[in-house]
This record gives sequence, structure tokens and C-alpha cells, in this order.
Amino acid sequence: MSSSISYKNVQKTFTGSQVVHALKKVSFTIEPGELFCLLGPSGCGKTTLLRCTAGLETLTDGRIFYDDRDVTTIPPFRRNIGMVFQSFALYPHMNVFENVAYGLRVRGIDEKSIRNKVTDIMELVGLPDVLRRNPSPTALSGGQQQRVAVARALVYDPQILLLDEPLANLDAKLRRHMRAEIRRIQKVTNVTTIFVTHDQEEAMAIGDRLAIMRDGLIEQIGSSDEIYHNPNNAFVSNFIGKMNFFTGTIGSIRGEHYQVQLDGRNSALSFTPKVSSELKAAAVGDRVTVGFRPEHLRIKPKAPDHEVLGRVRIIQHLGQIIRYEVVVEEGAGERVIEVDMLGTVPGVGEGDAVAIEFSERGFLFAEGGEVA
Amino acid sequence: MSLKMQDKGGGWLTRQRQKDYTPYLVFTIPLAFLVIFLFWPLVTTFIRAFLGSGSRFSLGPLTVSNFERFATSNLYRGSLRNSFIISFSVVFFTLLIGVPMGYFVARVKMPFKRLILSLGILPIILPSFVGAFSWVILLGRQGFVRHYINMVLGVFGLELPSIYGLFGVIFTMTVTYYPFIFLLSYGAFEAVNPLLEEAAMIMGSGRSRILRTITLPLVIPSLAAGSILVFIRAMGNFGIPAMLGGDQYVLPTLIYFRVNGFWDLNGAAAISLISVAITGGALLLQKFIVSKREYETISASRSEYKLHSHPAIRIIATLYCGIILIISLAPQMTMFIMSFFTRWGAAGPEGFTLTNYARIPTIASRPILNSLFLATTASLLCAILGSLVAYITERRKPRGALILDLAIMAPFILPGTVVSVALISGFGGDSWLPLTGTFTIILISYMIRRTPYVFRSVVASLSQLDPTLEEASMISGANWLYTFRRVSFPLILPGILSGTILTFATLLQELSTTILLYSSNTRTLPIQIWGAVADGKFGEASAMSTLLIAMVFVVVYGMNRFLGQSISSSFKVG
Ligand SMILES: Nc1ncnc2c1ncn2[C@@H]1O[C@H](COP(=O)(O)OP(=O)(O)OP(=O)(O)O)[C@@H](O)[C@H]1O
Ligand SMILES: [Mg+2]
Repeated sequence: MSSSISYKNVQKTFTGSQVVHALKKVSFTIEPGELFCLLGPSGCGKTTLLRCTAGLETLTDGRIFYDDRDVTTIPPFRRNIGMVFQSFALYPHMNVFENVAYGLRVRGIDEKSIRNKVTDIMELVGLPDVLRRNPSPTALSGGQQQRVAVARALVYDPQILLLDEPLANLDAKLRRHMRAEIRRIQKVTNVTTIFVTHDQEEAMAIGDRLAIMRDGLIEQIGSSDEIYHNPNNAFVSNFIGKMNFFTGTIGSIRGEHYQVQLDGRNSALSFTPKVSSELKAAAVGDRVTVGFRPEHLRIKPKAPDHEVLGRVRIIQHLGQIIRYEVVVEEGAGERVIEVDMLGTVPGVGEGDAVAIEFSERGFLFAEGGEVA
Repeated sequence: MSLKMQDKGGGWLTRQRQKDYTPYLVFTIPLAFLVIFLFWPLVTTFIRAFLGSGSRFSLGPLTVSNFERFATSNLYRGSLRNSFIISFSVVFFTLLIGVPMGYFVARVKMPFKRLILSLGILPIILPSFVGAFSWVILLGRQGFVRHYINMVLGVFGLELPSIYGLFGVIFTMTVTYYPFIFLLSYGAFEAVNPLLEEAAMIMGSGRSRILRTITLPLVIPSLAAGSILVFIRAMGNFGIPAMLGGDQYVLPTLIYFRVNGFWDLNGAAAISLISVAITGGALLLQKFIVSKREYETISASRSEYKLHSHPAIRIIATLYCGIILIISLAPQMTMFIMSFFTRWGAAGPEGFTLTNYARIPTIASRPILNSLFLATTASLLCAILGSLVAYITERRKPRGALILDLAIMAPFILPGTVVSVALISGFGGDSWLPLTGTFTIILISYMIRRTPYVFRSVVASLSQLDPTLEEASMISGANWLYTFRRVSFPLILPGILSGTILTFATLLQELSTTILLYSSNTRTLPIQIWGAVADGKFGEASAMSTLLIAMVFVVVYGMNRFLGQSISSSFKVG
């Protein structure tokens, strides 16, 4: 039985040696059975939100509901939830079986059912053999420990499963495998799940929907497609997928068509961008940030009429696409623009001067905020 | 279902009912214990100090007459002066002996380092009053060693001062307490980052200059801590000045004298107050010094020490450590030999016999049983109390945890005799809870004085215990008590055990508290030894001491085997 989770103006302020507003008025709802990703840079409040959901932290203000049950003040052990910690938090003094059976023993379930449930869940997480040897969890590999932690959290059919960067301790290859496993297990059990990560690729791969957090606030919620194609602001656009930013001033607006005078360039950029929601009332003369995804830029060997010029630093072959990292001089410093091409550009090698061409499909954001 | 209904109501009462109250319930048990058996006796002691002399407790006219004696009576003035002279001298001499030894063992290439470290700890593990009477055998009026020393000193027209008096007390305390300084300074010299010293060397400083300007300032916090520890021990020690003081009194013996000689509990309370004020002041001073000089001993990227390897230094260092060890362990060896002889004359032990041991069952079987019973029971109670308080103050941090934290550490500055005075004062024959002369009052005094051992040990192992383990248990549906039983407790058990066994070992030899609290039914082995020494029966005293030391040894050695941890680390508890 999985339930929905609703946050109503949730606030959390830590008052220790210094006051930290870890969560500032967070309100949203997670649907029953959903696999929901919390994504954001380090320190943005993901863990805090998760711990508040579990009841491990008391809210400073606001309410949290599981379905329509107000759980705000209910201690964690009366909530029927499961959680996997980043460190896995397996009990070192119990063997694997006892670790997994823990939540069942707490519930006073009879020995025979415990045995069955543990066996079933270990099968589900793909470790049926480990029970035969039944070693101490410290003798397991990272991936096995992770599966045991998931099994321990799921064995008593919780309403909600909380995962705090559960893959952070695994190596890259195992991470990719385990995230698929977690999605599979989640779909089998259909338990409402929150998955915390600061890896955008992981979030996009695993989540039904994701929330991008920054600085104690939710910036945007949606499927990874929605967020990728319609980011609310520059920060989000660069957190889900890569975005190259340019600053400029709006020269003219004709319907969907914009002309933007980019800073430091002679000719104006003329295109039909996706205008972010924060910029609906843009007018001629406004300062804006223009964004282009790497696949919406092109590079060409240098020619005199091309304007944005740079030097290729690295050429990476990423499967089908070829990524060119182009160093562009800008004011006093320089920065790197990423351009993805579907094949190699003849006559362009590392260290060569190139021109960058903009396509029609860019993004238009309010000025500033293109961090991360 | 019903839960759901209530939640919609969402009133204050419902929310209160959903809280987890178990930690608060458990919190009240140690709090109640401390209020009744620590705060209350201390309060009555405080009040008594301002009542007229005698043992009557009334809220009658308050007076400072008990304190005036420190100005008028020579005995009082002398005791206070002696306490200061002794404590400061002992700190001075232990530093003088201990720091070089710590430096040598840490920084000089020499053999038997591990042996030196484990033998070096013995004087503080073994009962200090055993040292006291053994020194009488060696350096007393007909002392065996005294004879030879005086022969040498006689050449210069000098004579060794009498072992009875300040010299004997300071000497015995020094050889008893130097291990604190030795071990702490050893640890500090080990920990100082050699990169700092190398940096200074590169900048052209010589070795002695480096020692003065870099190394010593870095070990000073440890030395300050060690000095205060020694100071407090020296201030509170009863056994050594009682056996060796002669007509020179110190505060603990003065307290004993007031209570046992005059039955003047109020007067004793006043002396206790002074004594606590001194040790408390010393502790504050230490806090102040240490917090001012908190240096980083960065352990990352440390390079190996270049140990001194010049032959001359190596010989000096080895000889030095050897001589110190022989002197400080001489009493134990003497006692062991003495236990097989009838007397120790000027030429050595005389009259080999086994009767000293044969008499133990008749004279000491009851005290031995009492000692075992008291030490075992008190250790178990300390274990429960200490671990609970450690757990609550470390993990739950309820309001008021700080008070609990302070209360549990307070006995560190309360000398044993003061704890006894407070307990007699709070639970005397005419009080609401008369306990004098019972096993209970001794148990309580032991708990008050030793719970900090377990507390510290558990706090240390709690800091190693990842809190997410406990959170994971709560998430799985376990309440606080279940979590404690199944997760926290098993994981801090090693900490609890080492604290408890240490407590047991020190309680077996406890004298300074018991001396004021025992009755004919509750005599302990140390009391029996003390009595035998007072009667001049050194042979019997030695046999009993050997037995006592054997028991302490078995326990401590067993702990080390079982927990695989070094004795010295557990004794730093202080
Ligand atoms: N117990 C605490 N006391 C005080 N401040 C805290 C506490 N826990 C978290 N914070 C602060 O709250 C903010 C959010 O922390 P949180 O752990 O939720 O971040 P996060 O998004 O999980 O980061 P990461 O990706 O690094 O895990 C941070 O500024 C952190 O320093
Ligand atoms: Mg986190």
C-alpha cells in the first residue's frame, strides 16, 4: 500500500552556532507509487527534506501528509517507511539475515513468516545466494551491501521508501547497473519512492519525475523531458543537461521571433527561442541570458565573416556524437563552450581556430543566475 | 484507524501523545539518583560547614566558626599548608621525572619500549597505600635501604630525612603518580607533527632550540592536563599521608581525624568545602590554560620521526628509564618478598615462613568477600548508570543534559574523604534515610566516584558509533528502547566493559572513601591491610596486599586480552 506525500509550506531552520535556513517554504505533492528524484547541488537541502519526510528532523514550520494523514509530529518508528542511507547503515553486529529481518522482528512477526519474507525480498533484490552463507554485512561488496540495505528497507512493505544518495559509495559502472535495479525493484513493489542524488544523469535515468532544488527551495518539478525542454530558469537548464550561456540585450521582438544583441559581438542574433516562464513580459531593451544546448550549436572552420571565434581545446568521441570543447576569449578571461556535432568536422583538429554558429533553437532566460 | 481520526483533530494533546517518552523516562532514573545521592549530601555538607561544631544538623544560627580554625588553629593551618606543599612538590617532581622519561621513550631509539610502557603504568594501577608501607620497610627507621644510603650520604655529612613526614609523603606520591605525566607526555611527544620540527631544522634551529621553541609549547596542553590530574590526586590521597604523615596532617587526614576522633561532622564539612574549592579551582585553571593553547597536531601527511640514535643518549635514556622503573616498583617487589618472611631487618628479610598466607583465611576471608561483593555490585551499577547517562547526554541531548553531564563528572574533583563526609552528612543515623554502617552507603559512594569512568569510556565509544545505525532502526519501526537494546547497546558494549572492568579494578583497592564508611560488618580487604599495617604486622599486610594485587592483575590483564586494548589507554581516564 503506497501513499502520496504532500508538503505544505515546509520550513526547516537549523539554529546551532549559526542559523541555516535549510528549507524555505517547500510545497509540493508526490503521487502514490511514483519514483521521485530530488536533485540539486551540495548543501541545497535534499537530505534535510528527506529526513523531514522520515520524521528524523522536526519541522520548524509547515506540515507533511502521507495521503491525508498528518504525520508532521509522528516519530519515525510509527510511520511505516523504509530508508536507505548513503552509508547503508547496516548493523555490523548482525549477519545479513538478521539485518534484513530487523524490521520484521520489531513488528513481532512469527519466525516462519520472517523466514519467508526475508527469502522473498532477497530474491527480489537479486541476492538469493547470500543467505546461504549468511555472512556479516562487512564481508560483502559495496553493491551487495547496497542491495541488502534496500532489502532491509523494503521487507516490511513500507508505504514509502526514502533513498539518500544510495549509489554514492559505488563505482561508476556499478552505479549505472544499480540504478536500473532500483528502478526495477521500485516498479515491482510500487512503493512511493524518493531518490536523492546530485548526479543529473542518475536523476534523469531513474526518476518518473524530478524536483530541482537550490538553496532550500524547489526550482522546478517535472519529468526529465519537460525540464530539459522547458526549463524555468538558467540554473535549472544547466542542471538538467548542459547549457552554454551568452548575455545580451533584446533588440527587437516580432511574435515568437527575437533579435538579441550579444555582448561583445557586432551582429545581432536572430532566432526563435523558448522563452522561460520568468521572462514572459520581456520587452525591447531588457537584459537577458541566451542559452544554447551543445547540440544546437555548430562549429565551422574559421572564415572571415564568422564572428564568434574560438580555439578547439579537446575533441571527445561520445558514441554517436562528437563533443568539441571550444575556448572563447571573453573580456579579460576565457571560457569553454561545448558543441556536439553528429560527426567530425573535416579540417578541424585540436588547437585549431573555429567559428561557432547558432541555430534557431535557443533559450531565453532572465539575466543572471546561470550558475552551476 | 483511530490514529487517523486523532491526527485530523491534530490538537496539542494528540501531538504530545505521539512523542516518544521513553528517553525522558530513562533520563529521570539517573537524575533521581544524582539528586538524592549527590546533590542532597553535598547540600547538607555545605550547610553543615556553617553550623557549630559537632554533628547535629539543624537550620539554626549559621556561623563561620568552622572556617575560623584555619586562621586560629596551628593544626588546621599546618594541614592546609602541608596539602599545598605536598601537591605542588609532587606536581613538580613528577614533571621532573616523567617528562624526560616520556621524551626518551618517544624519541630515542632504545630497547624494551613496550615493556617500559606497560611497567610504567603499574604504580597507578596498584594500591598506593601498599607503596606507602613498603617504603617504611625500605626507608623507615631501621630501613634496609636507608642504611646504605646514609652510608653514602654520611661522607658528605648528610642524612636521609625520616620517611615519616613531608619527605616520605612527597617521595611516595611522586613515584606513585609520575606515570600520569610519563604517559601523557609520551603521547604528546609521539603526536607532535615531525614536519613542524623539520621545518624549524631547515630554518637553521639546533635540536635544543627546537625542543624549547617548537616541541615543548606543543606538548604543554598535555602537560597541563597531566599536572592538574596529579595535583588533584595528591590533594585527595588519604592512604599515603595517613601511613607516612606522622604528626604532619593534610586535608584528607584532617577530615578523617575530625570525623573519627571528634565526631565533628560539621567541622569536617568545612574542611571538605575548602578542599573541593581548591581542586575545583585547579580544574578551572586547567580549562583556562588548555583552551588558551589549543594547538593543532595535524596528523595528515606526517613523516616518520628521526629517533635519536647517538650511543650516549641511548645509554642515558635506557639507564634513566630502568632506574625510575626499579625505584617505582621497589615497593611492590618488597611487599612480595616480605609476604614470605616474619620481619625485615637491617640485613634483609629474616625468617622465611608461609604463615602470613596461612592466616589469610582466618583474618581476611570476610573482608575479601566484602571487597568482591562491593566491587562487583558497584561496578555493575556504575555500568548501568554511566552508560545510560552517556547515551542520553550524547545522543538525545534533552534539555538539562548539561546538568547531568556536569553532575556525572563532578566526582572527579571530589576527594574520596569528601564523598564520605557528604554521604554521612546526608544519610546519618538521624536523617530521613539512615544508611551509615551499611553496605548500601559504601556502594553509593563507589558509584558516585566511579561512574565517570564508565561514562567517559562509553562517551568515547559512542562517538565512534554512526548515528545513522540508530536512525535506521527507528525507521524500521523500533522505538527508542528497542533501538538501544538491539543496536546501540551491543555496539557500545566494548566501551562499557572496559570502563566497568577499570572501575572494578580500582574499587577492589579503594581506601580513602571506605575508611570513613566501613563498619565491623562491612570491612574490606584494603581496610584489613590498613589495620595490619597500623598494628605493625607487615608480614600479614604484605601477604594480603599480594593477594589484592593478584586479583587486580587478573582483572586488568583479562580485560586487555579480551578487549585487545592497552592498559595505559584506559587508565588515562584519570
Ligand atoms: N544538523 C544540522 N545542523 C546545522 N545545519 C545543518 C544540519 N544539517 C544540515 N545543515 C545545513 O543545512 C543545509 C542543507 O543541508 P543538506 O544536508 O540537506 O544538504 P544536501 O542537499 O543533502 O547536500 P549534499 O548533496 O552535500 O548531501 C546545509 O547548509 C547544511 O550545512
Ligand atoms: Mg545530503
